[in-house]
Amino acid sequence: MSDEILIELNNVGVAFSAQRRMSGGHFWALEDVSLQLRRGDRLGVIGRNGAGKSTLLRTIAGILAPDRGTIRRAPVSCQLLSLALGFVPHLSGRDNAVLSGLLLGLRRREIMTRLDAIREFSELGDFFEQPIAAYSAGMTMRLAFSVAIQVEPDVLLIDEVLAVGDAEFQEKSGAALRARMGEGHTVVLVSHNESQIASLCNRVIWIEHGKSVLEADRDTVFAAYHRDMHPVVNAA
Amino acid sequence: MPRVRMRQHLIELVLFSTYAELRAEAARSYLGLLWWVLEPALMMGAFYLVFDVILKSGGPDYLPFLLIGLTVWQWMKSCITHGGYAIWTNLPMVRQVHLPPHVFPLIAMLSDTVKFFFIFALLLVILWCAGYPPNVAYLALPIVFAVTFLAAAGAGFVVAALVPLVPDMRFVIEQVLTVVMFLSGVVFALDKVPPPLSTIMALNPVAVLMEATRGILMYGHWPNWVGLSKVTAIALVACWLGAMFVSRLAPRYPKLAT
Repeated sequence: MSDEILIELNNVGVAFSAQRRMSGGHFWALEDVSLQLRRGDRLGVIGRNGAGKSTLLRTIAGILAPDRGTIRRAPVSCQLLSLALGFVPHLSGRDNAVLSGLLLGLRRREIMTRLDAIREFSELGDFFEQPIAAYSAGMTMRLAFSVAIQVEPDVLLIDEVLAVGDAEFQEKSGAALRARMGEGHTVVLVSHNESQIASLCNRVIWIEHGKSVLEADRDTVFAAYHRDMHPVVNAA
Repeated sequence: MPRVRMRQHLIELVLFSTYAELRAEAARSYLGLLWWVLEPALMMGAFYLVFDVILKSGGPDYLPFLLIGLTVWQWMKSCITHGGYAIWTNLPMVRQVHLPPHVFPLIAMLSDTVKFFFIFALLLVILWCAGYPPNVAYLALPIVFAVTFLAAAGAGFVVAALVPLVPDMRFVIEQVLTVVMFLSGVVFALDKVPPPLSTIMALNPVAVLMEATRGILMYGHWPNWVGLSKVTAIALVACWLGAMFVSRLAPRYPKLAT
């Protein structure tokens, strides 16, 4: 791991309008989050439902602009791993793979050289040339994952999509993602599954009510997180 | 990503998405591609029935006059509406991926332009059969079409920027465009309008474009270059304004509900 900081958030807040009215109020999905992402970091984001984890991920991706605070980013590509992005039902698996790959930031020739790998990984066989309207939900997800796993941004952002499809494909897709994360890529992972974060990440940030409570190495954060959680568990 | 690489990537994305949209649209119905020509043909038939056969408001050249007007107008209108609604309909994608929102209207307008060329090819065949042969003024058509596209794109971008914030606009836009159509000499000639009003109406950029296209296709007249230059200036300002609105409002789109 290097000390090169790729993305740095300082006291970042992101507000949404409460409703579509002329004089709607705001609510702050993120209130005050600071973090530093270094090259090679595998950063896990933990926190309760509605803590702002997904909003944080979309802010890091550059999709949401901060309404207060600052973001500094090195000139790196940063991509949220979205499954089935831009899929069109009446197009073939092949065309959808190209379209989705382009939307995920791949160049056309990069996708062309990977089409065989995508077809192979998705296990779709001849269905790859058929419109995806004819696919089952499982087949669509297999295609979606096979495209997404081809994307290699400098910073990969993952929101709870570690395994899709039937049991067998879940294992395969999970393994592919774990392999990707083990290759020294910089990754930010949001998950409800603590053991997943524990096994995949080296650093963890804990978010509560839109504020970063603690960002440190994995064990330090988990210890503090559990100290905070236990009184709640005991009371219940 | 370096700027040049990013621009090339966006061009690839826009071109492939345009292809995908056209392909998907052709696959959606039984007659597929045929509808691109059949639908405008039916509409032209309806207008011809009402204005020429029933109201007898047409003249000797009314059929080519009407067909040219409707073909060009339908292209402009579909660019303005489809392009105008494109960011709004793509909000779910805007929330998931970091892209300049300009690409969505552009994709919609380019696919409408491809469809226009199919219809235009059919129109040419009809005109040649009806006794309006090709002429040297055809050379000016690419220029007139480029200006027409710029004008429609300018209006489309302005609408595209605002509809996500005020989706209620959609209910008004169709009506406004219908009024613009009747005021632009699409279905009846502006010389039927009494003088003071007709001079004002002739300032309308759409009317200038209609007259230029008809002049070329029906009479072999070169376009009025001064008028066309003015329309180009207006169109460029509209494009710049629309693109700027989209850029300024871009941070707000991912936070909006569809």
